[in-house]
Formats: sequence, C-alpha cells, structure tokens
Amino acid sequence: MKKELISLRVNGRTHELAVEPSKLLLDALREDLRLTGSKRGCDDSSCGACTVQVGGIPMLACTLLAASCQEQEITTVEGVSEHGSLAAIQKAYGDWGGAQCGFCTPGFIMTVKYLLANNPHPTETEIKQALSGNLCRCTGYNQMYEAIKSAIEAEQQGLAASK
Amino acid sequence: MSLPEFKLLRPRTLAEAIDLLARHAPDVQVIAGGTDLIPSMRQKLFAPQYVLDIRGIRELRGIRSSAAFRPEMGRLRDSPQDAGAINAVEIGALTTLTEMEHSTFLRQHYPVLVAAAATVASPILRNMGTLGGNICLDTRCLWYNQSLTWRKGCGFCIKKDGNICHVAPGGDTCWAAFSGDTPPALLCLEAEIEVAAPGGTRHLPLRDFYTGVGDNYRKLQKNELVTRVFLPQSSAGWHGAYRKLRIRGSIDYPLAGVAVLLRRSNGHVEDARIALTAVNAGPVLVKGIREALAGRPLDEAAAEEAAELAARTAKPLTTSALTPEYRREMIRVFTRRALLQAFNS
Repeated sequence: MKKELISLRVNGRTHELAVEPSKLLLDALREDLRLTGSKRGCDDSSCGACTVQVGGIPMLACTLLAASCQEQEITTVEGVSEHGSLAAIQKAYGDWGGAQCGFCTPGFIMTVKYLLANNPHPTETEIKQALSGNLCRCTGYNQMYEAIKSAIEAEQQGLAASK
Repeated sequence: MSLPEFKLLRPRTLAEAIDLLARHAPDVQVIAGGTDLIPSMRQKLFAPQYVLDIRGIRELRGIRSSAAFRPEMGRLRDSPQDAGAINAVEIGALTTLTEMEHSTFLRQHYPVLVAAAATVASPILRNMGTLGGNICLDTRCLWYNQSLTWRKGCGFCIKKDGNICHVAPGGDTCWAAFSGDTPPALLCLEAEIEVAAPGGTRHLPLRDFYTGVGDNYRKLQKNELVTRVFLPQSSAGWHGAYRKLRIRGSIDYPLAGVAVLLRRSNGHVEDARIALTAVNAGPVLVKGIREALAGRPLDEAAAEEAAELAARTAKPLTTSALTPEYRREMIRVFTRRALLQAFNS
C-alpha cells in the first residue's frame, strides 16, 4: 500500500513521517522514530507493555493506528523525565527494584504517571486497580507498590520543600 | 505482527462518514477504539480494503440528558411514558467506557450501566473502547479468535472461511458467544439505539438488534452505523448490579455475565429484570423474572428461584476455555449474588 505523509507530535516534538495507513503507532514509534522504550509484549492487546499516553490518557500503542493519532499529543516513556533528570516514579522504581527484567516497566511508568497526575493520593486498592491493565511476567508487583508509595511521598516532600 | 493493508478514511462529521460508508460499503470496516478490530485484523479475521476511523466525529461523544429528564419517574409505579420524555438520556456511541465509568450522572441514575462498564477488559482498554464498540462487539469462540495458521490447521469454521462447526459438529449454525459487558445492562434498562444509514436514521430497541446466531449476530447493514444509545427515564433510579466470570480479574472477556436491575418498595421487589451475556450468541433478557419476584421480599429462596430461571436461559457451549457446565452454574451463582447485592444496595 502506498505510504502517506503523517504528522505525529511525540514528547513535545512534531515529526513528519511517511507510513502505510495500516502502520501501528507502536511500530511508528519504534521503527521510524527509534523510540524503543515502548515494548511489544503480547501483540494481542492484553499486556500493557506498549502503553503510551495519547492526549494525556494511557492507551495501547499496539492497538492504535499511527495515522489515527495525528493532532494528538503523544507521550512515551522517553518523555517522562523532568528537565533531564528522572521523574520521581522513575527514581523510585530504581530504588525499590520495581523493575526486574524491565520489559514491562515503560508501560507501567506511563500508567503510574497518569494515576498520580489524576489522583495524587491513591489508596492501595486504587493503585492495584490502576495497574490491572499492565502485566509483569516476573510477577514483581510488590516492589512496584512500594516504589509507587515512595514516589508519592517523594512528591509530597518535594512540594513541602518548594514551599 | 503487522496488519493487512488497507486505505484509512477519517471523516470529521457523521454525514461524511455515512457517505463514505455508502461509497465503499461491501469492503469497509469501521474502527473507533480499535480494541476489537485491531487484534482481529492481526489474526486476518478481517482484511478490508477500507477502514473507516470514526473517532473524529465529535457529535457522537458524550452523555446528555434532556431538559425533560425527571429521574423520579423511574421510581414511580405506572410512571407516564409519553414519547417525548421516554428517551431522556442520550449516550453517543463514541463515549468511552472510562467516561461512562466515571460519569456521576450515570452512577446516580443508572448504576447498573456503570457497574458493567467498569468491568470491561482493563483500565487502559476502557480508555480506548467505546460504548458503540461494546454493543457491536464481534462474537467470540475458541475456534475463531485464532491466527490464520491456527484456523487453517483446523480446516476453518462456519464463522470465517469454512463450513463446519467444531463446537457443535454436524450442525450448520454458528455458536460463537457474544461477550459484551454493557449490553445486558442496557437490555435491563430497556435501552434503544439509533442506527444511521444513507437513507436516514432509525431507532430500535436494543433487544431487537441481536439475532441470537453467532456469525450473523447483529442486524446492521454494511452501510449502517450505530450512533447513539437512549436510556428511558422509566428505568432511572433502579437498583442494579453486574457480575462476571473470567479467568483473570482484569483484561479478559467475560465467560459468563449477569446484569440485574430491580425496583424496591417497602421491603419487597416491585419489578425486576435480569439479562445475561457471554453464554449465548447474543445478550438475552431472562423471561419470567418480574412474575417470579414482584411483590416478594428478596430472600435467599426468591433469589434462588430467579437464579434457576437465569441458569435455564443460559446455553453455553464449548466456545471458551471454561466448561459449559461451570459457566451455567456460575450464571446461577452470580444471579443470586447480584440480586441480593442490588436489593440490599
């Protein structure tokens, strides 16, 4: 099929790409833009390893057509660091061993960023429900809960310190 | 895995979408959230020449109640049902399941619909999936939702590319199960849908939309689009509950699902409705529930009686990883629990 020129806005930058209409957003990110943080896990819209934010909302990049995401702000795991340093949740993942093999981590980070942006003080149940669309095959969920709780604390301390 | 090649059409208005559908009708698939179509296209279950992406049609998004909406009507016996007021609430087909889950209006007046929407797949998939897509959801079967190689190895089946049924050998009927979570809730609410076509729009009760046959499961022509869902105010304020069976607690499709809706008065049931999903080729209302429960307090015995009616309505076959016997038994269990939960809520 003939390629078409599309314009994608990813992590604050606009990119002009020539892609087939059937190209998935995940492939456009990984192959055309070399943003390989988002992972292809299950390839059947289940596991959440490819989670990115489209218009600020977590979605599966493996289940979106790249051409359908034009005019929308796309954020990948490459775009979550703040002023060149790790976001609180990224740092907490490192501190608490929230990533084991690390393959699911980019998807989890995008989900957690959304959770904390919309609900800065989630309960244990709310955290578990929010993470229920991402799978970790190392099954290291406990460390993730610890990391998330510590990221929330860090954000609060940061806020307190900046006052 | 890459998708089959197609041309992408992105209309901005409903009129434009209908026009494009009419022009490319035999060989077009509609995409909204994509959570049903994209995995199926990967498996080469669909290889259309055109894909019509309707996400850009803003008029089909959102939940609106008309000025005539009077929620108390739903709680009154013999509420007046004049035509102007009956469909007082409108939900656009492109409203996402997450938007429904978080709608305070729906939570207050139509809790059963929120309960059902909140269980669909996973939070991320609900951010993408739409109400229209959940209503139009393709039927599912162990022998159908598989890769091309897998299906080819088994000689295909009636629903796609073949002429045999592996679930009921010897028959010529497809038994693939309908697995949408919101339609049983909508059936209990007596919802209507609007279907747009080149000749204009038509309204029909949702219960008339499904055929009960697995392959040709819905009454929707190739040039038609489900555009809106209407909820009657006569169903507002009823108590409801939704329970579903699945292997994992998230992400999975239901393998049995029960929606319960009831109206209480002075410690007894005034009216009740129960609908099932994922155990038949279409979502179904259970017959005789009002007769069985109206005028009675809802105790274990009454709930068990209704649960028996529900279990007899369920006709699960070996279309999924769990046995039909187990799924039917869980319909009984979930009906009883959902009734007690709704009555005591």
